[in-house]
Amino acid sequence: MMDFFRRRKNKYISLVLLLCLIILLLAGCWDRTEVNDLAIILATGVDISKNKEIELSVQVFIPKPAEGGQQGGVSSGSTSSQTLVRSAEGVTIADAMSRLQEKLTRRIFWGQNEVLIIGEKLAKKGIGDQIDFWMGHTDPRERADVFVSMDSAKEVLESMPELERDAAKQLSKLVDSQIGVKVTVKDLSEMLTGDSSAAVIPWVAKMSPSNLEVNEGKNIPFIKGSAVLKGDKMVGRLSDKESRGILWPRNEMKSGIITISLKDEKGFVSLNLLRSHNQLIPKISNGNWSIMVKTDTDLEVIQNTTNLNLLNLKSSKKVKRMVVQEIEERERLTLSKARKKMNADIFGFAGAFHRDYPGTWKRKKNEWSEIFRKVDVTFDTKVNIRRTGLSNEKAKKGGGE
Amino acid sequence: MNYFKHKKNKGYRFPSQQITETLSKLPNIPINLDLNQNIELLKSAYTDCSDVVFREFTIGARTKAALIYIDGLSNTQEIDQQVLMPLVQLESFDPGTSIENVSKKLAVSDVLVIHTITDVIKQISIGNPVILINNKIKGISIGLPKWEKRGIEDPVAESVIRGPREGFVETLRVNTSLLRRKIRHPALKMKQMTIGKFTETQVIIAYIDGIASNTLIKEVTNRLERIEIDGILESGYIEEMIEDDPFSPFPQVLSTERPDVAASSLLEGRVVILIDGTPFTLIAPCTFASLLQAPEDYYNRFLISTFIRWLRYLFFFIALLAPSAYVAILTYHQEMVPASLLLTIAQSREQIPFPALIEAFIMEITFEALREAGIRLPKQVGAAVSIVGALVIGQAATTAGLVSSAMVMVVAITGVASFLLPRYAAGIAIRMLRFPIMILSGILGLLGVMLGIIAIVVHLCTIRSFGVPYLNSMAPLKIHNLKDVLIRAPWWAMNTLPESSSTELGNLHRQPHDQKPDPSKGGD
Repeated sequence: MMDFFRRRKNKYISLVLLLCLIILLLAGCWDRTEVNDLAIILATGVDISKNKEIELSVQVFIPKPAEGGQQGGVSSGSTSSQTLVRSAEGVTIADAMSRLQEKLTRRIFWGQNEVLIIGEKLAKKGIGDQIDFWMGHTDPRERADVFVSMDSAKEVLESMPELERDAAKQLSKLVDSQIGVKVTVKDLSEMLTGDSSAAVIPWVAKMSPSNLEVNEGKNIPFIKGSAVLKGDKMVGRLSDKESRGILWPRNEMKSGIITISLKDEKGFVSLNLLRSHNQLIPKISNGNWSIMVKTDTDLEVIQNTTNLNLLNLKSSKKVKRMVVQEIEERERLTLSKARKKMNADIFGFAGAFHRDYPGTWKRKKNEWSEIFRKVDVTFDTKVNIRRTGLSNEKAKKGGGE
Repeated sequence: MNYFKHKKNKGYRFPSQQITETLSKLPNIPINLDLNQNIELLKSAYTDCSDVVFREFTIGARTKAALIYIDGLSNTQEIDQQVLMPLVQLESFDPGTSIENVSKKLAVSDVLVIHTITDVIKQISIGNPVILINNKIKGISIGLPKWEKRGIEDPVAESVIRGPREGFVETLRVNTSLLRRKIRHPALKMKQMTIGKFTETQVIIAYIDGIASNTLIKEVTNRLERIEIDGILESGYIEEMIEDDPFSPFPQVLSTERPDVAASSLLEGRVVILIDGTPFTLIAPCTFASLLQAPEDYYNRFLISTFIRWLRYLFFFIALLAPSAYVAILTYHQEMVPASLLLTIAQSREQIPFPALIEAFIMEITFEALREAGIRLPKQVGAAVSIVGALVIGQAATTAGLVSSAMVMVVAITGVASFLLPRYAAGIAIRMLRFPIMILSGILGLLGVMLGIIAIVVHLCTIRSFGVPYLNSMAPLKIHNLKDVLIRAPWWAMNTLPESSSTELGNLHRQPHDQKPDPSKGGD
């Protein structure tokens, strides 16, 4: 540095630099916040209150210092919760946010908010404004997972799962397992503003306490299918099985186990999904809109209780045929429900048509809702069984000897 | 900066004149014919010097002579046997015998004929006894110095698992012999000069003729000749007088107490400056990359060396940035921390009364103090300090609620990281730079950290060491030079010398190509 100054031999440059440094000191620290002064939000719920206002509930982390100072990391079976739930009402979310701040001593910190739960009532009324606000606001994460809950969102937040730290963790872990749909705020915003303007969001329901042998009041939130949105309003629900059917055409199927039974054989074959690639191939000819759902999957056999030897080409083909049938059936089930009951294009057919036929799409865009009902959907499913394992007929017989 | 310059120029001449006045009392006159006058002159120069011995004797019963030496610097036993005995026992001595012929009679290997009183003083002071004979205008200096020396030991500051275990010592001759034993070729030159008005310290510039560039040798010689100082007690004096940018925190001259490091630097075309009285020799030029090269890198197999070198690079950044990154992220960018980690940190920080910056400062300063205390204290007390230190930095600070356990972790990693730098001087520079960056991070967050890094990089780009850019082979980028920076190339691929040293001679080849061991080369 010194060398630099000397070489220039210019006092003024060094003077100006010095002044710049002083300016930095003047501006310093104004937005500094210690972790101690933050109310870290783990999850947020949005409901409609009785007064028809927006009710914003947040789950705040209580940074209780580790007990005893020694091995505090794991609080063994402590009954007291590590989080608390606060809520505030307001005309808009922004309004509710500022009201909420009044109720908390620490600055609300949205940066770690990983879960956004929307109450069913609000979802039915329309969530466009809320999502819009969420995307526009700089603090909250766009990658927070979105859920629609059967009960009020606040109730879900207050529930106390046993295995996980809190409801927020419970829900985000459930969707991370990739068995159902996983939708983030960003995804949702994209889906709603996209061509099909329809979306699926995981549906949260309470697991009833009696089933789980837990204490009353300790409801545990679980994912049960998904909610379907059209425009920005919720129009219906899909069951667990139907929700999984969406994953194939949307190319989101990453893991899962398919169990099939054969007509002329006793027992079942379970197959584990290794890879799956899906493609929508749209076609418009003579005004007929059709789309082909192309699926290419790799599976491995993990259990075989039938007497079939899967190393045999013939029986292997039989199983393959059944798997294809199974997959297509699932897709068909979801499709028919989405088309007939809700008329919501949750598969993203609209986008596929837009990409391949931009001209036609521009003209027919406004009629899409009608066209969607009439689109001819065909399935082309290719199944490869990569590994059959040792679970064949011989192994079973060997055990009997 | 003009301010410093002016002050230096004005204040410089004044004390230097004073010193020359004192020294001018020492007569620079030829040796007188009259022995008594010579002795008077010398005795007046050595007034109140109880350690100077004047031994007068006669050669061949008539000719008066005197032996002058400093007690403790010369080998008196040898002088008695090889010099005094033959001369005193001489039956007859022709007064006309030339001094050269007298010296031929002495059974001593190193004998020098001298002409002036100044020479006499010089020879005495380096431990060579001088014989003056009446009616002769020349004297004989006898090379029989002897004083207590430390044995050659394992270098403490630069120890290795694999590699030579010998280190330089305080005696210059021993050090040159250590170098000469590694490089036997006559191309290894050792130019000698004396620096320091009072200490008259002997300094040797060593280089390999034909590898080190002539401009570099000239530049080093010039800078050393420019030094006018009253005394040199350690190589640090010289280092500060010859470095390019005295205000830079980074060392621009390497120092080492390992002969093997000095030898390898010589082979790379660098210049080694050996100084009497210290085991630390200087190596010039020095580049940033060489601060991160340990001697052992070259003795271990190259894959392992490369891995360790990368580990060192990583920890270089940790040593520099870990506390500031922690402070910046925790006070400005909480959203960057993974959620569950933030919750844990929030838990441990809940009862801490200080802001993260202050917390980091407390811990870092404590750590630096402990480190410093550990060096200064005698070994017996050192153990106590480390126990107390471990308590202060570790458990107690956390339990007392002064610092969070996460901070302890950060400080511990930073401490370990700073010890990973093989050059002590570089480690200190990094430790020092850590603090301004911490302040910047406390004021501006990660932006401040980036500003700090940019400032350091700009600074590193501007400085040079003896005409070689400090970041040489990285900036300016020379890809073939990265063989000893990015990786440690195997010896059979280390075919050219680094360009930094041999700029005018081009890229010298140090060995023929294609020496990779291979069964097809036969011999088995």
